[in-house]
Amino acid sequence: MNPVIRKLQVSLAQHSLLLTQTSAFLNRASASIQHPLCGGVAPGNERHYRSMPTHGIGRWRHLLPKEAPKKKKDKHQMKQIAAATNTEYGTLNVKVSGYDMTVVEHYSQYIHNLCNRLGIKVAESYALPTKTTEVMLMQEQGTKMYVDAVLKTHERIVQLSHLNAALCPTFMDVILKNQPEGIELCIKEHTAADYQVRFKARPELEGLIAQMGQKDH
Amino acid sequence: MAAPCSRMASRPLLQFLYSFGRTGAGNTGFRRVSGSSAHRAAVQGRSKADSAASPWSLMAAVCLQRLPVISADRSPVEQQFTQLMYQMELEKSLLSDHELRLLEDAERMSRRQADDYDSDEEEDRGDQEIVLAQDLEDSWEQRLKSFQPAPRVRADVQRNLASLDRCLDDSLVLLAEQQVGTEKMWLLPQTQWQEGENLRQTAERALASLPAGFKATFLGNTPCGVYKYKLPKAARTESLVGTKLFFFKAILSGSSPSAPSDAPFLWVRKSELQDYLKPAYLEKVNRFILNL
Repeated sequence: MNPVIRKLQVSLAQHSLLLTQTSAFLNRASASIQHPLCGGVAPGNERHYRSMPTHGIGRWRHLLPKEAPKKKKDKHQMKQIAAATNTEYGTLNVKVSGYDMTVVEHYSQYIHNLCNRLGIKVAESYALPTKTTEVMLMQEQGTKMYVDAVLKTHERIVQLSHLNAALCPTFMDVILKNQPEGIELCIKEHTAADYQVRFKARPELEGLIAQMGQKDH
Repeated sequence: MAAPCSRMASRPLLQFLYSFGRTGAGNTGFRRVSGSSAHRAAVQGRSKADSAASPWSLMAAVCLQRLPVISADRSPVEQQFTQLMYQMELEKSLLSDHELRLLEDAERMSRRQADDYDSDEEEDRGDQEIVLAQDLEDSWEQRLKSFQPAPRVRADVQRNLASLDRCLDDSLVLLAEQQVGTEKMWLLPQTQWQEGENLRQTAERALASLPAGFKATFLGNTPCGVYKYKLPKAARTESLVGTKLFFFKAILSGSSPSAPSDAPFLWVRKSELQDYLKPAYLEKVNRFILNL
């Protein structure tokens, strides 16, 4: 129905307005015929006319930046590690670790918020896998060891890029003075090895690669 | 700006590795702080000859801080709030494994005491638990009772201004009595800048020149404050109007045990600084010493 109407509009330009109105009426009529059970307004009644000033008033998707279409098979690429310059440090990892998860998370959130407020760019903020330590005590009578406690070490990393050298002493002083009890803080440069630690080892893949390597010889 | 700052800027920034821990039980009085920053040993000389020597002489000082060792006491509002939060969390919480075990054991005991008890009807475990959860709790209570925490504040140590263990819940700054011009006064340890080094090395030299061996980690390559001192009109010459003093922040990571007790050092809190420092100097120093 619609292409037919469009051709009519193109051929009869002077009567275009009349025709659109009639076509709209026809559409509306057909719509209402198709949905006789709809009580109230049929869906076709909410169409915005292109001549109305409010045409396209709710459009927002065209304002977003164009994203490249993401393929499912894309491997996660490592972000570029910034190099240190004369006035700024490169990519730094602030590692917060401890036994109490709420305190560790709150402290890492505090550091992240502090960086936002001071204008330090935070590249990434992620967690490393939890390490579990079993504390085994010797029994009083006998030689067997028994499990006394299970301690879990939680680690969170806030990755900063381009930390200004003049801001660094103040920033570090503030986070040191606010360091909670039982929390270890470690600030290091980010390396590719640190990035690889986040991935799980794939033993079958490594086995196959080793086999292929052996076959080549 | 004067030469050393530009020279500092032209050196590439150093490797960065700091780790700060609060969990060490061995060190009393210190947080474990270790920092390694690999310096480039060769410092580039000046690229161009001194065109106009500045009339200011340069010095660098180190602001050595000892971070708090124990947590500070809560204010009344904070105490009330923690109690309220604790109460709320307790009411909203679920029973933990240990508490469930306690309940199960109590129930099993009561079933055993009943007259019509048949041990074959016990579904859960064929072999009864040898160690009941209640016994575990009792043994833990005993261990807790035998633990004696050290006192938070010792009055004699608190009053001794030269002791490193005073005011454990606050951060302290090191003051040294040094000869400046003709008089001795209390100030942050400082020393004159020399040719061929950058200001951070000057500050490290200032720290190393103190008789007590303090090991410190410097927090950065840039100064955190500056103090300008103009000589009195009589002492001014054409080439020397005054000194510019740059402050560098450092955190104490350990001290040599053989610190002489009569050495002219003071460890003071920020509120006590005004008793020892000159007003103009204090004004500049107060700007960068944080009292969090």
